[in-house]
Amino acid sequence: MKTLPDWLNPEPWLNREFTAADVQRAIYADAPNEKTLAALLSPTAGEFLELMAQRAQSITRRHFGRTISLYTPLYLSNFCNGGCRYCGLAADRRAQRTALSQEQLRHEMDAIQKMHFEELILLTGERVPEADVPYLCDCVAVAAEYIANVTIEVFPMAEAEYRQLADAGCTGVTIYQETYDPVVYEQMHRWGAKRDYLGRIDAPDRALRGGLRTAGIGALLGLADPRFDILCLYRHAKHLLKTYWQAGVSISFPRIRPQLGGFQPEHPVDERMLAQIIFALRICLPEVPLVLSTREPQRVRDGLAGVGISKMSVASKTTVGGYSTDSEESTEQFEISDDRDIPTFCAMLRAKGLEPVFKNWDSAYRGAAHYEKA
Amino acid sequence: MKNDLLKIGDQELGSRLFLGTGKFSSTAAMIEAVKASGTELVTVALRRFNRAQAEDDLYGPLSELKTVRLMPNTSGAMNAKEAIRAALLGRELSKSPFVKLEIHPNPHHLLPDPIETYEAAIELVKQDFLVLPYIPADPVLAKRLEDIGCAAVMPLGAAIGTGKGLATAEMIKIIVRDADIPVVVDAGLRAPSEAAAALEMGCSAVLVNSAIAAAEQPAAMGAAFKAGVEAGRAAYLAGLMPTSETAVASSPLTSFLSGSD
Repeated sequence: MKTLPDWLNPEPWLNREFTAADVQRAIYADAPNEKTLAALLSPTAGEFLELMAQRAQSITRRHFGRTISLYTPLYLSNFCNGGCRYCGLAADRRAQRTALSQEQLRHEMDAIQKMHFEELILLTGERVPEADVPYLCDCVAVAAEYIANVTIEVFPMAEAEYRQLADAGCTGVTIYQETYDPVVYEQMHRWGAKRDYLGRIDAPDRALRGGLRTAGIGALLGLADPRFDILCLYRHAKHLLKTYWQAGVSISFPRIRPQLGGFQPEHPVDERMLAQIIFALRICLPEVPLVLSTREPQRVRDGLAGVGISKMSVASKTTVGGYSTDSEESTEQFEISDDRDIPTFCAMLRAKGLEPVFKNWDSAYRGAAHYEKA
Repeated sequence: MKNDLLKIGDQELGSRLFLGTGKFSSTAAMIEAVKASGTELVTVALRRFNRAQAEDDLYGPLSELKTVRLMPNTSGAMNAKEAIRAALLGRELSKSPFVKLEIHPNPHHLLPDPIETYEAAIELVKQDFLVLPYIPADPVLAKRLEDIGCAAVMPLGAAIGTGKGLATAEMIKIIVRDADIPVVVDAGLRAPSEAAAALEMGCSAVLVNSAIAAAEQPAAMGAAFKAGVEAGRAAYLAGLMPTSETAVASSPLTSFLSGSD
């Protein structure tokens, strides 16, 4: 079995006892570190959620202003040969499989452009002939004709393949480790390329070396002990920030939602714990964008907007072709909890004194980044 | 003070307060703050120009203000090449002679890259921009940028968005002492008193964004910064009294001299 690399190991900070005074010190830490985060994730800190929220909001406001960046996901393909126990689109699930043709993608992009999005994540399942790297490069190039910022959330690949995507106009990658717990990771991923636990941990490194500008990371909350996973995630982010100091790192908080296959998480993360995790990471990583998707219900999204969270998806479709057709031909990856349209969602943000920002990057900057060392 | 105009290249400005335009809760709040601040020069990131959607566009509403000139900035550029491309595009869209040259390869702390900034400045000066580079508070770099023809230099008071004030005050004093072009403190300010302090020490202007955008009442804070900048400038022109450590009643080391002759 694979073991957790030393540089990610959270053991020294796990399961310590923290007092109320420790937590209060952590909330106002000048130079937060692993110990600060462990204190903020502790059961004791659960009693200080309001104070943590206030601190998280003031830090978010200072670094990101009174704004929320918006993006949307676009599912290119739901073909998958993977065996993730928790996924409704794993190879052994009965699902309608399809991949967008270039022409269908253009219809999707027309619809997305009409919605005024300027940032997009293109998604697929695991690497299959229907959705391989050349297919992705073509899709990125098409999408980049329509909007400024095109990123991907697909399967891990080699550095040279990431470079091909960067050259095609891709700016960033999102790749979740799912869980950093090597035992749980092995149980959850029953077969296929995804069983390469260490290769997945290393994927954001390869993407950034390949010339992408941003890496989004995360853990699928519910699979393993969230305190363990979040401490690893923090160490992973710190590693990327230090090694690729010119690259952007962001963190998302996917929480397991009801989906096909009826997977029951062994470590369910409730709303209070989710909020505690987000506030804790905001306090410990003041400058890192924290992202919340439409997996979360309206009430939770409204409450966390600007309180730790600086970036959100909106009006998302998780079916292939979902933006330009009403058909139910493809199976969705997970159920959207917040299905508000853009005007409704933006009105909510504005009522909270937050400006929705669609365009926060310009195609003038497009092309592979070079993180050269002299 | 009526004729106390700030000259940047061939351009003259009546206000010594420049405003950044990101981070506001709405375009309307931003416009209100711009008006209340009395600023005549605002900077807009090229990445926030959005010709496809008026509601998301910062440039359009600002370009309608008659008393304000626009200075596109290259925020988002990681290196000289990208910054030059952004500056050219910004000029094409805005027709402004100014460019705020900012190159921050690290998207998290947004601190400026002195090497790439210097290289981009050389090219942009050649292309007839009035170049205002955002730089670390480095007196040597400031002189080097002046030597190649920059219209002003904009050293940071502290990292963007931190509100730590004039953390680099000692270096800024040296930059001001040595400069023959305007020195504009950019980034880090939190309070109008800090803007006043920058003007008192001889800086020509300050550029403020977060301190106004993140205030409880942005427009009121814009007006407060206007007052701070005006007070600081007036104090500088009036000439501050010299400082001394403490009042010295006796001169123990030189009292023997009074017994001479």
